Amino acid sequence: MKTLPALTETQFRLTAAAVFVAVLPHLLRLPWLIALPVLVLFALCWLQRWRGGTRPPAWIKLPLVLLFPILIIFHYGNLFGREPGSALACAMLALKLLETDNRRDARAAICFSAFVLMSALLFDNSLWITALLCAALALLLAALRALESPRTAWRRDLRAGALALAGALPLALCAFVFFPRLAAPLWGAPTDTIARTGLGERMAPGTMQELLIDDSPAFRVVFDGATPPREELYWRGPVLWNFDGSAWTRPEWLAAPQHDGTQVRVRGPRVGYEVTLEPSERHWLLALDVPLLAPAGAVRGADMSLVSRTRIDAATRYRMVSAPNYELDPVLSPLHRRLALQLPPGFDPRARALAQRWRDEFKGDPGLIVRAALDMIGAQFTYTLNAPLLGRDSVDDFLFETKRGFCEHFSSAFTFLMRAAGIPARVVTGYQGGYFNPIGNYWVVRQSDAHAWSEVWLEGRGWVRVDPTAAVSPQRVQFGARAAAGASVPWYQADWLMAMRNQLDLVNRFWNDAVIQFNALRQQSLLTPFGIVRADYPQLMLAMLVAGSLLLGFFAWWVMRAPRRAGDALDAAYARLCRKLARAGTVRDPADGPVTLAARVAARWPARGDAQDLITQYVSLRYACALPAPERIQTFTRAVAALRLPAATPLAAQSS
Amino acid sequence: MNTRLATVDSTAPDPALITALERAQAQVNRVVLGKAAPVRLAFACLIAGGHLLIEDLPGVGKTTLAHALAATLDLSFQRIQFTSDMLPADIIGVSVYERESATFAFHPGPLFAQLVLADEINRATPKTQSALLEAMAEAQITVDGVTRKLPTPFFVVATQNPVELAGTYPLPDSQLDRFMLRIGLDYPDPAAERALLAASDRRELLAQLTPCLTRAQLAQLRGAVASVLASPALLDYVQALLAASRSHAQIRVGLSPRAGLALLAAARAHALLEGRGYCLPEDVQRVFPGVAAHRLMPSASATLSRDRLAAELLEKTPVR
Repeated sequence: MKTLPALTETQFRLTAAAVFVAVLPHLLRLPWLIALPVLVLFALCWLQRWRGGTRPPAWIKLPLVLLFPILIIFHYGNLFGREPGSALACAMLALKLLETDNRRDARAAICFSAFVLMSALLFDNSLWITALLCAALALLLAALRALESPRTAWRRDLRAGALALAGALPLALCAFVFFPRLAAPLWGAPTDTIARTGLGERMAPGTMQELLIDDSPAFRVVFDGATPPREELYWRGPVLWNFDGSAWTRPEWLAAPQHDGTQVRVRGPRVGYEVTLEPSERHWLLALDVPLLAPAGAVRGADMSLVSRTRIDAATRYRMVSAPNYELDPVLSPLHRRLALQLPPGFDPRARALAQRWRDEFKGDPGLIVRAALDMIGAQFTYTLNAPLLGRDSVDDFLFETKRGFCEHFSSAFTFLMRAAGIPARVVTGYQGGYFNPIGNYWVVRQSDAHAWSEVWLEGRGWVRVDPTAAVSPQRVQFGARAAAGASVPWYQADWLMAMRNQLDLVNRFWNDAVIQFNALRQQSLLTPFGIVRADYPQLMLAMLVAGSLLLGFFAWWVMRAPRRAGDALDAAYARLCRKLARAGTVRDPADGPVTLAARVAARWPARGDAQDLITQYVSLRYACALPAPERIQTFTRAVAALRLPAATPLAAQSS
Repeated sequence: MNTRLATVDSTAPDPALITALERAQAQVNRVVLGKAAPVRLAFACLIAGGHLLIEDLPGVGKTTLAHALAATLDLSFQRIQFTSDMLPADIIGVSVYERESATFAFHPGPLFAQLVLADEINRATPKTQSALLEAMAEAQITVDGVTRKLPTPFFVVATQNPVELAGTYPLPDSQLDRFMLRIGLDYPDPAAERALLAASDRRELLAQLTPCLTRAQLAQLRGAVASVLASPALLDYVQALLAASRSHAQIRVGLSPRAGLALLAAARAHALLEGRGYCLPEDVQRVFPGVAAHRLMPSASATLSRDRLAAELLEKTPVR
């Protein structure tokens, strides 16, 4: 068998780095059961190389090849699909590196790395992952180049790789824009089985804590006109009616759109805006309190929550109109009244007793009862994200023991008290506030802006929003959860850092808008400026071919254009003199020496010696001394600038 | 103190030397009519210290030119007519047993002269040609294990017929590289030919020639050639020409570094012949075909002749 030349140290290192970088985006996501052995494989590779050992024999490799599919089947149940497939690819790639010893192996490993790298996009196609991918691709290209020219320095390989990638980018962009897209993805990207954080349909003490420390954007909003004040930005999500003693949940049947009696009376102006929702893997659509319509493909439930018919697996954009000043359900149906008063029997006796006392004291006046509850909460309670754990009677524990908590504790306890006092009440979850990005002129609402408040139904006024959290901590509503939490802000959430992150969100938004959301529909309207309203596939193909050919033509010209000579000031001045002479009809051949040119100039203009004199000056500067004095070059440059020659006549040009 | 680098200016050569050179050229031009340019190249070669190869058809004046050069320079002169049965000993000398002293005594051959005219060099066998090799390269010869210095200066002016003619052995590449310049003479133009026909016998004219350049002047000239300024820009140009010869599609083997040195030396000598203390791209261009053409090895598929290739290299290489 012919043995191929072994890889040099630099080649192997670059290849190993490329392979590792390709696996890296997956490593963070893979379960430990698989990620750990893959890491061990990398360590083995390094160790084996470091000790200068030979390749591992087949009796080591074969069991390893079998081990990984077994591990993957053990963890995922099968070998196919997005997660198991990519895990298998990562493992096999790491195994390939273990036996990579010559150029052919390395080339195969690098090409497969490119595939593994690409598969990372199936999980996350954010800007940062894409940027990481680009850097990794540059490394891959550098490794490929190092395989071809073993003696160059790795820095030069890296630079060449980055350059090659940069060169390919315009073409990639062209293909991205014009390559005909299918209305549906070519392959149905299997969905994430790992739940994302986001608003749920269930609220138990502590469920929101995870959300409040999650900084990822939930949605972005662009208002048509003026924005309502920040403290009025209540983004309505799921409305929770049922309480079982520990958790608030939502009755499924309420999502039905047909409902008698639900009505909204709008008082004051309407607000129009556009929401771009990040993928949430849920059905909720968020809207400013209170939405006046449902977007296409969604229904507005009886409780004014918006539910999409399909799960939000990709960024989704919809237009909304809301009324900040409204009157909701002036008449409460008996069914709703019963639901809004339902309480689990046998829980929280002290809270019930308190509510009963208020009821007697205020003779059932709902307004006074609400005031009393808010006063109590405002006077005795503390807002903190580090809430203590609660026992079986969670409301009692919170109201009379711990007295520390955040929005979900407050809204839960408040709603409980109201119901116990005979006032219909419900919990509304959603988001509150947001960050206004002045550069992009839009609002970004993050998961950490998640909030829960209460609605009570008052005779003659309908459902009225009451935010008990605002009674405890007005900052929560004005400045956000984190500001309200005060001293418990960790260092990585310092104000300036947050401000920077909020600014950076602009980039994310652009990426979402321009890249992720660029779909078949928007592609069709690309050629509108050229008079084609709905571009079909052949037209798009043609556009791609034309743009691609133009780009390739430009590149060809760029590469083939005569290399610029790195000339000095004297060269520049002489070039200028030659241009002047050329305009006057005496064109210098690049292979002509200065004396030859002077002879031609003398033959052309026997009467005037100035041009000839300049050439003589150039000769004495360029060839009669090894290093011309700068001031002499300056004199020459000025003299060239001052030279005036008659413009060429066609006849003169021919004769010269 | 001024820290700026001093500019290195060229110095004008000694006018007396230039006048002597011009007189010498004029004398040769009186014998070889209408061939001013090849004569100038021949002089450039000699004052640059190189060996000269004159190649052309029989009867166009190669030997006459060689004779005229020899007569004009005040040097000891030997002529070797090469034939196919000539042996190395015939040119470098032979050790002969002497009965009186009972020892071998070396009898120097015709190579022991300052100017050697090797007439029709390509009629000799390669063995004999190679005997010239050491002599030309190192100005010394080795016989019976004893190395003997040749007189200084040592010039070889060789003539050869075009290779296609019958009874010739092509000069090996290594031998060709030893010649700084190769010039051709070509047929004289009508006016020169008429003058040639009308005038008296060349041999008589040759007999009348007097030395115009003394040995001391020749030594001076060699020094002057070495001090002719070749500016960085000119060196760039020479390098560019060498590089172009090595990357040309039709050239199998480009110019060697030795060829580059020869090119520069010849260009310097040419500048001196023009009375300049510095070298111009034009000097390089004048001597380039003579220096390069016989050294270029065209590839098997080449369609251009060596001379044409050299001209093309000049056309393709830009000048600053």
